[in-house]
Amino acid sequence: MFTHNFKYSIKILFKNKSLIFWTFAFPIILATFFNMAFSDIEKNEKLDIIDIAIIDNESFRENQIFKETFQELGNNKSKEQLFKIEYTNEEEARKLLESDKISGYLLLEEKPKVIVSKNGINQTILKYVVEEIETNSEMFQSVSERRINEKIQEEILKGKMDLDYNALSQEIIQETMKMLQNQKIQIKDISNPNLSYTMIEFYTLIAMTCLYGGILGMTSINKCLANMSHNGKRISISPVSKTKLILSSVLASYLVQLIGIVLLFLYTIFIIKVDYGNHLPQIILLTLLGSLAGLSLGVVTSTVVKKNENMKTGIILSITMLGCFLSGMMGITMKYIIDKNIPIINKINPANMITDGFYSLYYYGVQNRFYQNIISLILFSAILIGISIISLRRQKYDSI
Amino acid sequence: MIVFKTYLKVLNKCKMPIILYTVILIFFAVFNMQTEDNQISFEQEKPDVLIINKDEEVGVTKNLMDYIKNNSNLIHIKETKDNINDALFYRDVNYIIYIPENYREDFLNKKNPIIEIKSTKDYQASLAEMMLDRYLKTANIYNQTSMSEEELIKSINNTLEKEVEIELTSKIDTENLENASFYFNFMNYCILAGTIYVICLVLSSFKSEMVNKRTIVSSMNYKKYNRYLLLSNGLFAFFAWLFYIAISFVLVGDIMFTSHGMIYILNSFIFNFCALTLAFLIGNILTNKDAMNGIINVIALGSSFLCGAFVPMEFLPKQVLNIAHILPSYWYIKTNELLKNIEVCNFENIKPLLLNMGVILCFSLIFIIITNIISNRKRKLG
Repeated sequence: MFTHNFKYSIKILFKNKSLIFWTFAFPIILATFFNMAFSDIEKNEKLDIIDIAIIDNESFRENQIFKETFQELGNNKSKEQLFKIEYTNEEEARKLLESDKISGYLLLEEKPKVIVSKNGINQTILKYVVEEIETNSEMFQSVSERRINEKIQEEILKGKMDLDYNALSQEIIQETMKMLQNQKIQIKDISNPNLSYTMIEFYTLIAMTCLYGGILGMTSINKCLANMSHNGKRISISPVSKTKLILSSVLASYLVQLIGIVLLFLYTIFIIKVDYGNHLPQIILLTLLGSLAGLSLGVVTSTVVKKNENMKTGIILSITMLGCFLSGMMGITMKYIIDKNIPIINKINPANMITDGFYSLYYYGVQNRFYQNIISLILFSAILIGISIISLRRQKYDSI
Repeated sequence: MIVFKTYLKVLNKCKMPIILYTVILIFFAVFNMQTEDNQISFEQEKPDVLIINKDEEVGVTKNLMDYIKNNSNLIHIKETKDNINDALFYRDVNYIIYIPENYREDFLNKKNPIIEIKSTKDYQASLAEMMLDRYLKTANIYNQTSMSEEELIKSINNTLEKEVEIELTSKIDTENLENASFYFNFMNYCILAGTIYVICLVLSSFKSEMVNKRTIVSSMNYKKYNRYLLLSNGLFAFFAWLFYIAISFVLVGDIMFTSHGMIYILNSFIFNFCALTLAFLIGNILTNKDAMNGIINVIALGSSFLCGAFVPMEFLPKQVLNIAHILPSYWYIKTNELLKNIEVCNFENIKPLLLNMGVILCFSLIFIIITNIISNRKRKLG
């Protein structure tokens, strides 16, 4: 009987087209949209080459430092290229600025002046670079002067009187120039290379699919319930052990659910190239438990809620969507805000347990945080299954 | 009148999606709108930086921290390891600077101490790195002359304080226009997912087999019946749109009363009309409510993701935008995006916007034609 019901439950589930659409196809479609929309976000956030213009007037041509520095920063063969520079007159530059072709332009008269059309990061960087060049030349002067004075005093103290001031200052100026150019500061980047936050979106998608799978469980159980359909009545009065019936239905839907998730995984890994980290056994464990949480959500809704099927589907969908929303599906900031300010909400949110599990695997590796999520998922499932068992036991109807 | 009354009755049963999408719209609009004052002078961009100082906060160390503080938004979080790493991952901070123990001593002894950093490697982080870089270079250079610590600090600050003159040419209210564009772009999703869904649901109730048969045998002229149905749907779409516009006045504010606001409203009106024709098309092709739900969701989410309702257009890959040309949403959102950069609304400037609206109307026309062909065929088959 067990295998019989198991087989037919699977058949019934696969024949239900709209169910298969929502649990199998919809996540894959959504993953495709996510991929199309998010694939360039992080690349776009990196510092790109900035289009600027410089007014090619006499004072610019005469100012060696500005000319050389911008030549270097605008050199498209150099690794340090920061700007793409258009050398032009003021009228032209203004036009370019108005049509948004450049972020701003530099006008060098007695003092440098930066003209921009709006506030923004490109504009700030242009201003920053101009300031840096300006201060560097000043600093160069003041440092060389200071060093020349120091040197002269030193020499005088040593008793040398016949100093060649010119040669001495030339030497020190050269030296200072070298010093400025060869400045090595020591900044060491120790950040984790796995910083791609759009991954969270895909993790919430897996969480959504796991929980959506609950609808499969719900449908299977509904089939056996006398108060849901005529089929259910017939099944209920048949002389078959209810444990066997329920267990085989639940197992069948769990299997179907897992097939859906495996499809999604294959699609996201091989076609979209989502990075789940390198901990395969943990990923499998997390997925199995995540699906179990979805299944138990479906089972508990179908047994405890005594309403029609639409109502039950609505409840599972709302819980899933709310959970995914709080765990960052519609903007990862949400997950961070909740995690930071009201962590208890995300501690009991099954969608977040799954998302956070993947996140911690990706960002931190296998650590306590991952196992905390695993334990939460086990507890969540155990509690819901416990409630379902209690409410399913010894059901009797006087009339339906 | 009987058609209209029935329409309202069925509509009343389907009010949930409209409420839901309105709540979503308001929530995301409020969540995403920056409410900064209108800036007329240049405002420097400031990265979010976190400093973890293991040294004593005196002398050069304090000066370094003060410099960073003045030029960035200093973020304060509980300094546990996980908190710091989470903050970096979720971009709460762009740049973390670890000042090592004995930094001050090592620096003054010219040991050039190593400073560790963590960075999100985006625009903001690059800016923060430029800032730190500039400070450290300046400090190192002055440190190679024999100065006392006090003198050193003074020289560094004198050098770094110098600011270049900057002129802001445009006086348009970018913040508010950006908010308006965001709101209207997001409305794309609400119109597609909410309005279309409800219209299709109501249509499917009218078209369900038994009801449809009864209507056909009734004494009512089918043309009149269709006209009423069309009118009721049009009215519903209009009121739903009016409702969203009313909310925009509350959320976006003053800008809605300007000529910019008028164009936003006109654009959304035309798009709403296009959505109405699309709803008729879907309602005519499909009668199964489950299938309808799936298709509308895919259309709404697809259009919104591919055309830039959720993720701004400038962040979308080129190929995606090329594909998006075949969707009416693209032209609608494109108009909103162009509009926010227009300073003066004269004919010359808004010509491309009108062209986009024309494209949306063409889409509507195509939808109407297809609907007619299909419904004609269906009637003949029946």
